[in-house]
Amino acid sequence: MLRTSVRLAIRALGRNALRTILTMLGMIIGVAAVMTMVALGNGAQDTVEQDVRSAGTNLIHVNAGNYTRGGEESRIATGLGAATTLTPADAEAIGRTVAGIKRIAPGVRLRGWIASGSHRFYGQVLGTDVPFASMFGWHFDEGRWFTAADVAARRPIVVVGRTTRDQIFGSGAKAVSRTVTIHGQSFTVGGVTDTADPDQIEMAFVPYTALQDALGIAYLHTITIEAVLAGDASRIAAETAALLRSRHAAHINAAVEKLRRAGITGNQMPQFGAGAAGAPDDFTVKTQSSEALTKGLYTSVAAFVLANMPKLDEVNLAEMNATLQRARSTMTALLAGVAVISLVVGGVGIMNIMLVAVKERTREIGVRRAVGARRRDVLVQFLTEALTLSAVGGAIGIALGFVSAFGLTLLLDWPTRTSAAGVGLAFGISAAIGIFFGFYPARRASRLDPIDALRTE
Amino acid sequence: MAAVPLIAVRDLEKTYAMDGPPVHALCGVTLAIQRGEFVAVVGPSGSGKSTLMHILGCLDRPTSGTYHLDARDVSRLSDDDLSAIRNRQIGFVFQGFNLLARTSALENVELPLLYAHRNRIAPAERRVRALRALGAVGLADRASHFPNQLSGGQQQRVAIARALLNDPAILLADEPTGNLDSRTSIEIMEIFQRLNAQRGITIVLITHEPQVAAYASRIIQIIDGRLVTDLANASHRAAAAELAGGGHG
Ligand SMILES: Nc1ncnc2c1ncn2[C@@H]1O[C@H](COP(=O)(O)OP(=O)(O)O)[C@@H](O)[C@H]1O
Ligand SMILES: [Mg+2]
Repeated sequence: MLRTSVRLAIRALGRNALRTILTMLGMIIGVAAVMTMVALGNGAQDTVEQDVRSAGTNLIHVNAGNYTRGGEESRIATGLGAATTLTPADAEAIGRTVAGIKRIAPGVRLRGWIASGSHRFYGQVLGTDVPFASMFGWHFDEGRWFTAADVAARRPIVVVGRTTRDQIFGSGAKAVSRTVTIHGQSFTVGGVTDTADPDQIEMAFVPYTALQDALGIAYLHTITIEAVLAGDASRIAAETAALLRSRHAAHINAAVEKLRRAGITGNQMPQFGAGAAGAPDDFTVKTQSSEALTKGLYTSVAAFVLANMPKLDEVNLAEMNATLQRARSTMTALLAGVAVISLVVGGVGIMNIMLVAVKERTREIGVRRAVGARRRDVLVQFLTEALTLSAVGGAIGIALGFVSAFGLTLLLDWPTRTSAAGVGLAFGISAAIGIFFGFYPARRASRLDPIDALRTE
Repeated sequence: MAAVPLIAVRDLEKTYAMDGPPVHALCGVTLAIQRGEFVAVVGPSGSGKSTLMHILGCLDRPTSGTYHLDARDVSRLSDDDLSAIRNRQIGFVFQGFNLLARTSALENVELPLLYAHRNRIAPAERRVRALRALGAVGLADRASHFPNQLSGGQQQRVAIARALLNDPAILLADEPTGNLDSRTSIEIMEIFQRLNAQRGITIVLITHEPQVAAYASRIIQIIDGRLVTDLANASHRAAAAELAGGGHG
């Protein structure tokens, strides 16, 4: 029955194609505006996420060791002898246990010479894992990032930042497949990252397993965690700290005992964690924003600041969102206006064409009633026609929406992203308009007196 | 005669109260029609024939009086029930054919099956039935023609095929030959007489032309909304014989 109705509807509308298309125009423009609006909204949201990512507010850093007063600046891990207790197994346990983690990468650090032939460069080498490149959305000027297989096989592959490349091989020189020496070990250059981060650009990145081998260690210096939601970073940091505390409990207690016996107390004691016995941690967990905020502060001051700003990540994110929202709200308002006006015009157009159709086909309605159509059959027939009209208009509008979203990106460089949800919304709106504005004419058709209808010329 | 008439109306009145004085289209009509009868209703224009047919066809309700169709009191039924009765028990043939424009003969004929809600029929089966009905009126070869490609007589035959599609008990025809020449009118009457004789379909034929009414086996005359005569017409005209022997009309 429905298939027949739709077929009938398409035929009825096809009889006056020009009128049908003109009627659809409002609908088409309105739906296209809705589509574009959603695509712009998506684009804006993507930009926020991208900004959040590059700002690192969704990153959490676990560092081995803890610092006594004054140790922060010198970056020397002291006390506890704990710098060797963070392991790949810890990283694996965090990834498995803590919810809301998108990516996780174990890391080993080295500050030293990166050399090739007579050229050498003193920089930071990070041994890391495959997810690291995705955390920062890297692309590669040449070559590629290393793979899970490279990490598993502990292959000596190195990916360098641009400055590192320029310093060792010469400005803009080809680097892939050439060899550098790090910590007395040969590494083959696998790629050059396009990162613009002022730190990363002068670094070198190798599989953490390979750097462990070069250093002759089995532990980690750091673990980098990416939260699915930036606003979740504080919670993930807290849960990670709790997990590590319990995993390292035996170690910590033994180390604290040793320190006590050596007579170290008070300020000389490492920063206290929130562990059960108030024992100090042999690691630190920091969110990117807390790290930025507390850079250079005394440990106790930093602890105070952080304790009083537990929602720091959320604040940052909300502010960033607000800024972007303001920047795009004008365009959205404009499009929403266009959408509403066009959709109303389109809806009234549909109502009008359907009223004309009911009038023109009054006799047909009478005939259908005479052969047994119920009121609701007539209602459904005309409603289906209105719905078909709006759906076809909606489909064309959706196509136009794709074009205009694409055009905005191409011509004005505005980020847009068309999505299934946007298409669904646009289609839903057109269907709703078809039903809303088609109902009155359809009801009128269904209420016609069959005899009057049959007598109509 | 059989005990329960197919159509039984009693004291039927219909008053139209528009602006101005009320019009009494029917003033107390009592009438019984048995299954298988071929009845002509005659009378001058404006005498209430169409009004009667609309009530008999469940398209309209009387102002007062009762109507039993197949022993069922129709006056109390809902609009949907009346639609179902029109769909299954009644076939209409109109003076102006009332075919859907730009719709093929076959699809016009199929129309009642679209509304056979209590007895859903697959599209393929609809097609078969519609073709059979077109065959019964001699138009199997015109199935894909549009109404504007058919002559008046052919259009009326398509309309008859449509009326027959759900195997109705009653065929109601309001001036079916009003727009046709006399030769074509005889062809239509031949179909009516054949349907009546072979399938036992009850036919109520409304006409203001006595020579058309003469094909029926019972003639009822209405004047000013009142039934004035109701006579058997044993020696009715035989359309088939006239067509066979009569040459051109
Ligand atoms: N809908 C209506 N409103 C008012 N008067 C009507 C209506 N339908 C019919 N009539 C009147 O009722 C009378 C009978 O009409 P009708 O049944 O059509 O006669 P017939 O079919 O015999 O020519 C006429 O006087 C006509 O004007
Ligand atoms: Mg009449």
